[in-house]
Amino acid sequence: MSIISLKNIVKRFPMGEGEFTALSDINLEFKKGEFAGFVGPSGSGKTTLLNIIGSLDSPTEGTATVMGKNISKLSHKESAMLRNLHIGFIFQVFNLLPVYTVYENVEFALLLQNIPEAKRKTMVMEALEWVGLTKLAQKKPDKLSGGEGQRVAIARAIVKRPQILLADEPTANLDAENAHIILKIMKRLNQELDTTFLFSTHDEKVMKYLDRIVHLRDGKVEEDELQLEAGSKK
Amino acid sequence: MKLAFQLAYKNLIGAGLRTWLNVGVLSFAFILIIFFNGMLDGWHQQAKTDSIAWEYGNGQLLHKDYDPFDPFTLQDGHGEFGAELAKTTTPILIRQASIYPEGRMLSVALKGIDLAQTTLELPTASLKDSEANIPVMIGEGMAESAKLKEGDEVLLRWRDKNGTFDASNITIVKVFDTDVPMVDKGQIWIGIDQLWQMTGLQNHATILIANENFEAKNAGDWTYKSQEELLRDINDIISMKKASGSIMYLMLLAIALLAIFDTQVLSVFRRQKEIGTYIALGMTRPQVVGIFTVEGSMYSIFATIVGCIIGIPLFVWLAKTGIALPAASTSQDMGIAISEVIYPVYGLTLIVGTMLLVVLSATIVSYLPAKKISTMNPVEALKGKLQ
Repeated sequence: MSIISLKNIVKRFPMGEGEFTALSDINLEFKKGEFAGFVGPSGSGKTTLLNIIGSLDSPTEGTATVMGKNISKLSHKESAMLRNLHIGFIFQVFNLLPVYTVYENVEFALLLQNIPEAKRKTMVMEALEWVGLTKLAQKKPDKLSGGEGQRVAIARAIVKRPQILLADEPTANLDAENAHIILKIMKRLNQELDTTFLFSTHDEKVMKYLDRIVHLRDGKVEEDELQLEAGSKK
Repeated sequence: MKLAFQLAYKNLIGAGLRTWLNVGVLSFAFILIIFFNGMLDGWHQQAKTDSIAWEYGNGQLLHKDYDPFDPFTLQDGHGEFGAELAKTTTPILIRQASIYPEGRMLSVALKGIDLAQTTLELPTASLKDSEANIPVMIGEGMAESAKLKEGDEVLLRWRDKNGTFDASNITIVKVFDTDVPMVDKGQIWIGIDQLWQMTGLQNHATILIANENFEAKNAGDWTYKSQEELLRDINDIISMKKASGSIMYLMLLAIALLAIFDTQVLSVFRRQKEIGTYIALGMTRPQVVGIFTVEGSMYSIFATIVGCIIGIPLFVWLAKTGIALPAASTSQDMGIAISEVIYPVYGLTLIVGTMLLVVLSATIVSYLPAKKISTMNPVEALKGKLQ
């Protein structure tokens, strides 16, 4: 059964006096536990598609169903709840909250779920252990390297054990070594937690790890490719 | 809400100097508002207490023909009072007279008062034991303007009940210190029995000062004025002072609030990525608006804490030592009781009221820019695009 279903998705943005079509007639299904990515050049609609799946945006036409909920019909509160409980985000520039420590950044998602402090602590430390950052728990983001910053972002996204994790160009600001470290962590989390990972990328390093690559061009699906031996080709 | 406070606290502490500048300005306004109002309240309380103690007693009965604001009514504004009123009031007879200190003529109000009275703080007992021909007492203000001192003799001229002039030397046996100009400036106090004898107006009085046993009511030719009515002028003056003073400190508060508003506007624009991240992590927009509003409110909470830390020792010290007023020597000219040292009064209502004013106004000015977040597109916010 699919965890994400996109049917006839069209997204248009107003541009000057006209409109710009970012996505056109997208039909895709993603199953639980997939490690997939949208690949394409800039402006191909990768991030827009991730935003719709993450209920940060809604399609102009078509139906986007995530965890059985029609994104277009969700109220602000319901879509916030969906993101809070089921969707994790990883951003290109990490988007860590600068005044919080690593621990507090990771804890943030759990605070929103009103999880008791003792349990929160266990979950945060576990997430930091996954990404190998327990020793940096009390550091502020400005004291971290790029790779460490992105690992904190992964811990923050994964700490609440979301069903879906959306990563928008997660390796764009990282060197090759750090990119591989990050991708290995994400691959391992995908396998251990059965979390569905969806990437938007044009980084070949990322593509090598993906089980499924959806090629986008000019807002349309150009190719939907399965890579059964992903991760072994790097 | 707890989360909003936690986040706001971290954000404010994390913002460092910017936070403390805003807090500093706001706490200064907070302290100044309390200081200024405390001083006026202290003055108010002191003016009321002194006026009651020296002038008003427990109220006054004014002869029907006497108008305190019209000196021409002094001539005929007096009458006999019955034995019943004599039990519960202290009679004062006021006559116009002139003195001639150092050859100059000074018009004065010659006030006869029962020397055995205890209703007013006037030291009337000091006249009782004097062996002078006509012993009188005056206030320090009068002594200064007439250049008189204790033991001086001065010529007094007055009219008797038939309008005939008479004159005699009077002896200043007491110069008393008071903050109430209405019993000092241009006044000479004399025993009422002596004044009755000098004027032939036996058992006449212009006003009767009620003591604590007086039952508040009009009596025949006498119109009763309660303490509240008599204090109305003082209350009005203090209210006016407060209103005019409030313009100054409200302007200061406005500057502090403007700084918070400015910081909040800047925050909402500068921290769009953070706002987008909050929403992406699952916060609702009202929750994010709440964080930013609470942040602004917390400036005021910090300001009240800082204000209390600095202000409480300062206010306690001021309430104990008082504030010396160099202009007190001229207070006689202002027509209202002003002590040389004012002891400010800092009541709970004043402090809590000021805290509420500061916190509520800071919350409102914080909410105004923060509410823009509720219309923000989270995707654009995540990109940090100005909206």
